[in-house]
Parts: sequence; structure tokens; C-alpha cells
Amino acid sequence: MGVAISIQDLSFTYAETTRPALQHINGEVEEGTFVVIMGHEGAGKSTLCYSLNALVPRFFRGEYAGQVVVHNVEVARARVAEMSRRVGLVLQDFEAQLFSTSVELEVAFGPENLCLSRDEIERRIDHYLRFVGLAEMRRREPASLSGGQKQRLAIASVLALEPPIVVMDEPTTDLDPVGREEVLSVSDLLRQERRTLVVVDQDPDTAVDADQVWLMREGEMVAQGPPRQVLTDLALLESCGVQPPPTVALFQALGWPGQPLTVEEAIALIRQHNLAQPRPLQSPAALTNGRPVILELRDVDYIYPTRAVEALSGVNLQIREGEFLALVGQNGSGKTTLAKHLNGLLKPTRGEVLFRGRPLQEIRRTEMARHVGYVFQNPDHQIFSNTVREEVGFSLRMAGMDAKTIEERVAEALAVVGLSGYEDEVPFTLTKGERQRVAVASVLAAQPQVIILDEPTTGLDYRHQRSMMEMLRDLHRRGHTVIIITHSMWVAAEYAERAVVMKDGRVLLDAPTRVAFAQEPILAEASLRPPPLLRLGNWLGTSGLTLEAMVEELR
Amino acid sequence: MNIFLYLDENTWFHRLDPRTKIIGVLLLFGLIMVFNHPLYMAAVALGLLALGAAAKALPNFWRMRYILALLVVFSTVLWPFFAKGPTPLWSWGRLEVSRESLMYAVAMGLRLASFVAAGLIFLSTTTNEEFTHGLIRLGLPYPVAFAFSTALRLVPTFAGAGATIVQAQISRGLDVESGNIFQRAGKFIPLAVPLFIYAIRHTNMLAMALESKGFNPGEPRTWYLNPQMRRADYIVLAFLTVLFLAALFLRLQGYGQVLPRL
Repeated sequence: MGVAISIQDLSFTYAETTRPALQHINGEVEEGTFVVIMGHEGAGKSTLCYSLNALVPRFFRGEYAGQVVVHNVEVARARVAEMSRRVGLVLQDFEAQLFSTSVELEVAFGPENLCLSRDEIERRIDHYLRFVGLAEMRRREPASLSGGQKQRLAIASVLALEPPIVVMDEPTTDLDPVGREEVLSVSDLLRQERRTLVVVDQDPDTAVDADQVWLMREGEMVAQGPPRQVLTDLALLESCGVQPPPTVALFQALGWPGQPLTVEEAIALIRQHNLAQPRPLQSPAALTNGRPVILELRDVDYIYPTRAVEALSGVNLQIREGEFLALVGQNGSGKTTLAKHLNGLLKPTRGEVLFRGRPLQEIRRTEMARHVGYVFQNPDHQIFSNTVREEVGFSLRMAGMDAKTIEERVAEALAVVGLSGYEDEVPFTLTKGERQRVAVASVLAAQPQVIILDEPTTGLDYRHQRSMMEMLRDLHRRGHTVIIITHSMWVAAEYAERAVVMKDGRVLLDAPTRVAFAQEPILAEASLRPPPLLRLGNWLGTSGLTLEAMVEELR
Repeated sequence: MNIFLYLDENTWFHRLDPRTKIIGVLLLFGLIMVFNHPLYMAAVALGLLALGAAAKALPNFWRMRYILALLVVFSTVLWPFFAKGPTPLWSWGRLEVSRESLMYAVAMGLRLASFVAAGLIFLSTTTNEEFTHGLIRLGLPYPVAFAFSTALRLVPTFAGAGATIVQAQISRGLDVESGNIFQRAGKFIPLAVPLFIYAIRHTNMLAMALESKGFNPGEPRTWYLNPQMRRADYIVLAFLTVLFLAALFLRLQGYGQVLPRL
């Protein structure tokens, strides 16, 4: 087999920046193999992807050294349009990639650029829509598809150019678990076709099946090798801001023999070496912290005025002061709709919402903003100021506070999110993780009792996810009620005390987190699965929710 | 919310070549401008309603019913004061209403509604791409047509982002509902800046995606959409041209007018 991609001593610095994005990268990808690139935010993973189809250095200018050769073509000398026949690039932001008014035209766009005949374009639309499982959706408008479908359409639109190499930059980051599965199954199909596949992904689960794992840190390549070699070096993974496979971490902490990359492997090893005896799970007592109910939904129905679909139906929920609650479920299951009822952004079509026993209709929205803070998923939807200080103080100025109080509150909020000293920074220039923290601080500054966060960890790397969640845990310890909406099962498992599982606008399951994650069949109904560690825990009958707790129990 | 009016049906009108639809709708606009007698206008309006039914565009008429009704009502109420006719009905100081001006007003109301109706029929039966493609076939350069269609396409995307931004800022205590006009203008900044930045990021990403799919506006390309001028197209165009010219002829002979003005 030939070499598909060969990278020799590649360095790149974006124009108008000083820090190199890539430094002396070397690498070789055999035809028909699967490479997974991992690393922290800003490690240079995307830049490396762009350098494979000439976006670097053609679209993004800068200082370029070394060379990349793709199927005997030197990339830096080719134009992006030429490279599109050889390397298909699927970008992370699928929303921004789709621009046609129908699914078939989206797929037709690439072949049209290649000047193919109409019959050939027709064939490719047919073939690749079937390939990604969207044949039924041909006439639909892309905007009306689910996240997973949109990403699969983005993949089909790139595949229609029939490139022998497919590069995907974090194709599953913004997706719910079902969407993630859908996209991963497409990448499995690509592998069966023996196409060369390069995927950037944060999840060790994806990397398990790779031929090679490339680990990047600060623009440098720190490890290249088969998954069993790279994914078992826990210290190295941590230093690159990558989540280590939890089963490997568990076995290493316990000193058990073997390095299981998956739950199935772990179970086989435990059986083989008789490492532990499965026992029935002891359910912890239902938790009531005995504090007053702060928010309550009574028989809430909600119908969006523009769509005739019931987004919530018959929801009853009581949230007590000082709880840490996770709302989980698929996209469209009603999580966000429910959360928007809690601060009065949406008014129930039927039923009522109470804040400390008072119906929400009686409370002004601006007053609610002081009681219940809401951090939206994308910090860029709210950041608008020139300095972090102004941004964080915005809600206080809106409430008409004096300059001195504002200054104090801003300092306090920034200290909580770990951004003290950032007062005069320009928020737009911060990293995504930092911007997310600015958004949280700007909500915290109003000192709301309840703080709701929509997908607080999406788009952050493992290191930033951890520090974001540690910060929320800290807020919770100070007595705040914390409500998160999340797709990340391990985040919900490790940090929330209570999990509310939503499906089709109803509450499917509402239980202490450990109890909820033990109900695998019910979770499956909502297309969810416990995180790997808890799947193993369910089999073993351990009651811990974190690695440390499980190690403690099993030792 | 969906701001596009396209209805995915398969009527003979949908199947027409986009060029026919573009020229046809221009001819219809011309026809609408010809008469100012309410009875003649009513005939034109009814014709458009029938065409709307044939093209299965009536759901959009229903969606726009308030706008259509408002156009008719306002123009019937307001026009009489601006058009002067020979047979006075009522006067108050310098204001006067004549029989002719009242009829003219009704005709103008129908004319505005007919304009909207013709536009609605076009938008209900033509996708963004077909429209652009029609323009290209009529001689518009591809890069211009592409920019035009992409701009149209981005409107709902930015509208969606805008809605999220408004909610995010309201959650932070931004009070968009009170204050005088100057205070309200100041509140615009927290909404405009994130939207602007979003637009820049989004557009940049789109440009990358387009280039990665081999897009090069200066180079030749082929089309998946391949509308053909068929017999039906020529018949429709011929019919509309004859209709328009006949109407013009009638009007020049003095038919279909209550006042000697447009």
C-alpha cells in the first residue's frame, strides 16, 4: 500500500500572531488507514487539518515551512479547489457549512464545481445520500434536519467529490449522543471502503479503533502510535489535556493487570483474573436536602407558537435550594425548553411555574434575572464589551447599581471563575474556555441564587471541561442551586447529585444520579448510555460515581 | 421560524422554467399596473387568486391574510383624499371625496394586494436556487448571482442567531421593552455586537467550506438543476404577453379607467 499523506518538518505561524501554531510536525499516513488526532484546545489540530487541503497556507496566510505531500502532490503549491478532489475536509461547525435550500442541492454543489455531467451528479447525490442514510430526506430543507443529520449531510456533500482522503475536524463535538453514533457509523463505513480517514476527536472511545493516534500539545506532535500504546500513557494524555480512557485509569489505579481500552475488555479481564466479584448495587437513599423548594413546575405544557408540536407535556418538577441537577436527553427532548421556563424566558402554555411559591407571571423579567441566572450554550451569543470588566458588570449596570458596588461584585465574580486579573482584557481575544468563564462570571455578578447552564462543557477540551465543572462544584458548595443541561454523561455522573432524563417533552426519569445511571434500559429509551465507568460500575455493583470513589470501593 | 415562502408541491406552475416565472411575474406586474377601475382590477385580482389556487400557493395567501387585508383597507381609506375626481360626494374644508376617487381608492387597494399576490405565487413556487439559476440563464454573471443567493440564504440563519442573542441578553437583565427611543437605541449595542461577530465568524467558516468543496467563482462549472424551456413555457409566456398587450390596448382606448392617471 502506498503513502497517502506525508508531512515533513511542517511549521506554521498564522499571519499577525507570534506563537507558531505548528512546530516541526512529521507524520505519515498509509493509504486506507485511520488516524485520530487528539490534543488540547489550541494544540494545532485544526491547523494540521487545514494544512492537508491547502487552506493553510492558501486561505490562512502566514509563515510556512516544511512540506506536506498528499498522493504525490505538494499541498502548498496547489490551490484549495484542486486539493478538494484529493482531500475532503469536514469542518467542525456544520451549521456554517450548509447553505443550500434542499438536501440534494447541498450534495450537488461539489460535483458542480468539478464540472461533472448532470447524470454523474445525479448518481453521486443518490449514492452518497444513501451512504450517510439521508436518502429519504432528499427534498428537505437542511435547516429542518437534526444536528446528526446536518453533520451527515455535510459529510455527504464532501464525499460527493469522491476524495480518497477524508479529514474530519471534531465532527461530533456539538452533537447529542444519538447524533454522535450516527456520524461514527458513517466513519466506520468509510473505513470499510478503505478510504484514508483522519479524524480529530476528543473522545478516547473513537480513538480505540484507530490505526494510529497522534497526540498534540502546543503545536508539537508528542506521540504517534497505535492506540494501545498512546492511550495507556495516562500522564502524557493528561499533559495534552486529553481524557484518558477511564477503564485504563481504573486498572492502573488499582494495580490490576491489563490495559482495557473498553468496558467489554475490562469485564473480560476482571472475569479472567477474578479481580472482583459482581454484587448487587446498593441504592443510596433518595436525597432530600430538607431545604425549601425554590423552583417548581406544575403540570406544565408548552407549545411553540411557530410549530404545532408540544415541546413540553405534563411536566412536574420540584427543585430545592442548593441542589446540583443535570437535565439530560436528546436534542428536541425538551431540556432547553424546560430550562427556559425556570427564568421566565418562556411562559407555559398550560400549568404554572413558581419561584419560592410565587407564580412567575407576577415577577418582572429583570427581577428574575437577579434570582435565576442563565448561561447560554455559546458565550459568543452574549459577549459584546471591549473589556472583561464591562462585560461582567453589564447586568449590574442594568440593575442601576453604583460604580463601587459594581467594581466589587465584578472582582468577586471573576475570582470565582478564576479570571482575576483579566479585568482589562478584550473578551473576544480570549480562548473559548475563557470566554465561557466570562459568560458565567457575567451571570454570577448579579449573585443569583439559581444558576442554569446550557451545555457548559460543549466545545471545551477535557482540561477546560474539568476546570469549568470544578468551578460549578465550588459554586454549589457555596450554596448556589446549579442546574446544567448536558450531553456529556460523565459530566452529569461525576458532578450532579440528581439527574432528570427527558424524552419527547416528558420527564422519563428523575432520580439521584447513581440510581438514574443504574437504569440502563430506561436510559436506552431516551437513547442515552451511562458513561463507561458507570457501565462497568453497574456490572460490578459499585455505588461510586467517580474514579476515586470506585477505586476506594474496589481496593 | 421559516421566512421562506417556498411550498414544495408539484403543480404545472412549479414545473415551469424559472426564466418563464421571472418574466411571467414581470408581465403580471405590468398587467396589474394597467387598469385603475375597480371592476377591471377585481377581474385581475380574481385571476391571480385562481392562479394562486392552481399553483397551490393559497396557504401562503392565508399566512399573509392580515397584510393583504391591511393593504386593501388602508388604501381604500386613504386614497380618496389624494385623488381628485369630478363628482364630489363629500367635502370638509379642503378635504373632499368624489365618487371617482373612492372607486380609484378601491382599485388601488386591489392593485397593491395583487402585487403582493403575484409576488407570493412566484416565491411559493420557486426555490432560492431556481431563482438564482433563472437569473444566471437570463445573463446575470455567476459570482453576482451566487452572492445574491447566499445573502438570501443567510437571512434566516442570522435571524435565528439574533433571537438567541436577544434571549441571552434578557436573561442578563437587559430590558428591551421600556425606555425612550434614545435609551432603546443604546440597548441595541449588546444585541448588535454579538450578532456582528457571529456573522463574521459564520461567513468565514462558510468561505472555508466552499473552497474545500472546490468552489471557484471564476471557473466554469456544471449545474445539477437543468430547467428547460418547454412548450408549456412558451405557451405561458405567449399568453401573458398577449394578455398584457390586450389590456394595454383596452386602456389606451379608454376602458378600465376611472381617473386619467396610472
